[in-house]
Amino acid sequence: MALQDVLNDIEGYQDIVQEREVLMKYGSDMMHLKGVTQRRISSLHPKRILLTVSEVREETFSAKTLRLVAREGILPPFQAGQYINLFADIGGIRTSRPYSISSSPDQTGYYDITIRRVEDGFVSNYFLEEVKPGDKLISSGPSGHFHHNPIFHGDDLVFIAGGSGITPFMSMVQDIADRGLTERRVHLIYGSKDASDIIFHERLQEIADRHLNISYTPVISEPPVVYKGKKGFITAKLLQDLLGDLSPKTFYLCGPEAMYTFCLKELASLGIQKRKIRIEVFGPPKEVALQPGWPEEILPEQRFVVQLKNGKTIYAQAGETLMASLERNGMVIPALCRSGECSLCRTKLLSGKVYHPPGVKLRKSDRDFGYIHPCIAYPLEDLQLMI
Amino acid sequence: MSDYDVIVIGAGNGGMTAALTVARAGKKVLLLESHNVPGGCATSFIRGRFEFEVALHQLSGIGTPEKPGPLRSVLDRLGVTNKLEFVEQPDLYRAIIPGVVDITLKAEREALVHELQQQFPKDKDPIRKFMNLVYDFSMQMIGGLFMKDPEASKEKYPLYFKYAFKNLKDVLDEYFADPYLKCVMGLYWGYTGVPPSQMPFSDFAIMLFAYIEFKPYHLKGGSQSLSNALLDALIQAGGDVRFNCEVKKIEVKSGKIAGVVTEEGDRIATNHIISNASTVRTYVDMMDPENIPAEELKSFKAMTIGPSAFIIYLGLDCEPAEIGINVAANFITSELDGDKAAAAFKTLDFHQWCMLSCYNECGAAFSPDGTSQVAIVTLQNADPWYAVPVHQYNDVKYRYANSLVDFCNRAFPGLRDHIEEAEAASPLTCMRYLGQPAGAIYGQDNFAKDSRFFVSNKSPIQGLYFTGAWVTTGGFEPTLESGWAAGKLALADLKK
Repeated sequence: MALQDVLNDIEGYQDIVQEREVLMKYGSDMMHLKGVTQRRISSLHPKRILLTVSEVREETFSAKTLRLVAREGILPPFQAGQYINLFADIGGIRTSRPYSISSSPDQTGYYDITIRRVEDGFVSNYFLEEVKPGDKLISSGPSGHFHHNPIFHGDDLVFIAGGSGITPFMSMVQDIADRGLTERRVHLIYGSKDASDIIFHERLQEIADRHLNISYTPVISEPPVVYKGKKGFITAKLLQDLLGDLSPKTFYLCGPEAMYTFCLKELASLGIQKRKIRIEVFGPPKEVALQPGWPEEILPEQRFVVQLKNGKTIYAQAGETLMASLERNGMVIPALCRSGECSLCRTKLLSGKVYHPPGVKLRKSDRDFGYIHPCIAYPLEDLQLMI
Repeated sequence: MSDYDVIVIGAGNGGMTAALTVARAGKKVLLLESHNVPGGCATSFIRGRFEFEVALHQLSGIGTPEKPGPLRSVLDRLGVTNKLEFVEQPDLYRAIIPGVVDITLKAEREALVHELQQQFPKDKDPIRKFMNLVYDFSMQMIGGLFMKDPEASKEKYPLYFKYAFKNLKDVLDEYFADPYLKCVMGLYWGYTGVPPSQMPFSDFAIMLFAYIEFKPYHLKGGSQSLSNALLDALIQAGGDVRFNCEVKKIEVKSGKIAGVVTEEGDRIATNHIISNASTVRTYVDMMDPENIPAEELKSFKAMTIGPSAFIIYLGLDCEPAEIGINVAANFITSELDGDKAAAAFKTLDFHQWCMLSCYNECGAAFSPDGTSQVAIVTLQNADPWYAVPVHQYNDVKYRYANSLVDFCNRAFPGLRDHIEEAEAASPLTCMRYLGQPAGAIYGQDNFAKDSRFFVSNKSPIQGLYFTGAWVTTGGFEPTLESGWAAGKLALADLKK
């Protein structure tokens, strides 16, 4: 029996044929979906945002805020604490850096990003010195997981910031204030070297004065001889003195590398559980050769040959991320978090060995099949990459 | 001149097996994927110390090397089986109707019948008869349809001819009166997204039969390990692949495939395309309107887009047993009527119907020692999410997620207090990562009228083939196998 004869004999087949006939006459035309899927995705998660710098504001002697507005359409929403990856062409080298958005998500007209001068800050210094109002920039869509998650963070929050690590918290604090989320209680503890270094001090003080559920404590590590506020580092004792009962609280940390090392120990000594601590990712370590597991025999200055599948060959230093070496040689690969977390730059290593610092977020099977995250991978041998 | 014998659009399950099928036959193939990772649904992501499985719950069609299921046979022929570690699940599922029913069904016919009879003693007889029907029907379906018996007839395969297009609800009603029993028995309808009153009995019977006969499985390293293995095999076989490379256009010349244009504007010539993008997007978004076959557009009118999903991925800082989880697959519902539950998929009200998978229950190493990995899934259509203003989207998403966690916390008290990592995915998230219209996870609604008898994987355009959920049923096994089938079709045409 041919398939059609079989079908004809199955109970109910004719009904289905008739149903299809009717639907084909009166059903909706799928042509109306042209472009719809892509538009809907882009409204929340565009690959690229075209921006204009509308304003540059001095925050402190070493920090500036760039206010960015959309060149077309509306800016996509973000969750307070998220970042955008900002692209730049600096002296012919195309690269990018992720910056937390410091403005409130309730302010839908612009994104503020606040940048502080750092030593050898190739990209940050470019944004601080070269960029002026009217300049055009391109960024990724907002991304990142360092934000309040109502599924499990609760409403009793402690924000621990260090230096320019204040930026995601600035957004979160304003969000709570702007939306009147009075059930969400926050204590922001902000460590800086000296008083002139504190970014957003007046605005944070003002918000804390006006909102009972928001507290703000700046802590100065190198205070003048006479200083009334909190001094030193953010220690277990300081946390206990300021916060009272720690058990219901969720702690968020964002700051320089050294602050994580110090504060995580302090939190551990207070018996805070892992699930109560949220850490913002940070870029490549300052000195990768000091990281645990770095092979002693490899010097950061050592150079290796990296062969690409497209036939190109470049040299890469052991102490520099592969992504930076690639960009220096005019090869741009997809980048977003530049911290080993998002896996956008995931690349197959065809031969050779690389070093990933602890905490790189590589999937188990990606490890098994030889994938690396070049944004935080360092060459330890000559390499071949599938790029 | 062609640059490639075959171009495959999309590295989802079907796209990967299609590309590999073609490459292993010695043909020049290029696989294009808009995302940066292969797999589509078959992938994972990391939060904190957890690597979350995105979509695989119970892999069907595997069986054992001695008694291989259909999917194992395909993976064998593609040369990837030895790169994978399969983990068998002893149970079909645990069904929890909070406060009323809590029953675990073994993936073994006699044990399953026995367990159901214990829980529903009044229906002892109908339970056995129903399972007999499932088995006899499935055997007839395999003999008559899958084996293409030339003498297939109503007389030879009476159950198949009677029940194939009947709906699951009618058959359950025919055998049982107890609404709890009907609910527990029919829960696998969730794996197709079609409520019992619409689900073809043939889809249900063959699924239950196959899960019992070939057992549900998981994979060490999750479904990403399967995707990575398939991709690795493709590269080994000489296939090319480009990630972050979306196809913007399919070029057609006088009714024949001529090539593709990528988002970067590269034009790549080929006479054969296997599309793992949906049929809808392949035509509507990638082709000039004058090239779209009228009969395909007409056929689209008979179709509706199927559900997407709302998923919560949880990393817990306790062993599963500590909160009472002891089975990998758990269906939790307070809504006995599947049709009512499915009606609520089209609203933003949480409808008390979900599935909870705990991967630690299918073997170690799915999360660090002393922790567990859990995924809570419910089906959701994208339409109500379109109405949410973009700036309220996250609030709505978290509100929905919290009601789902609260509901599961009733079945597993303490769940909420052990959450160390959590990520929620709405239909819009599915849409973002899969590129599917309306974030559909199973393709179009899998009603009887949309089954393989009415939807073809070969386009009227010469050289265009389809793979994936839109030309078969949704799920891992069907989509993986559909790629093999599409690859074979393309190879046959290449020979001509």
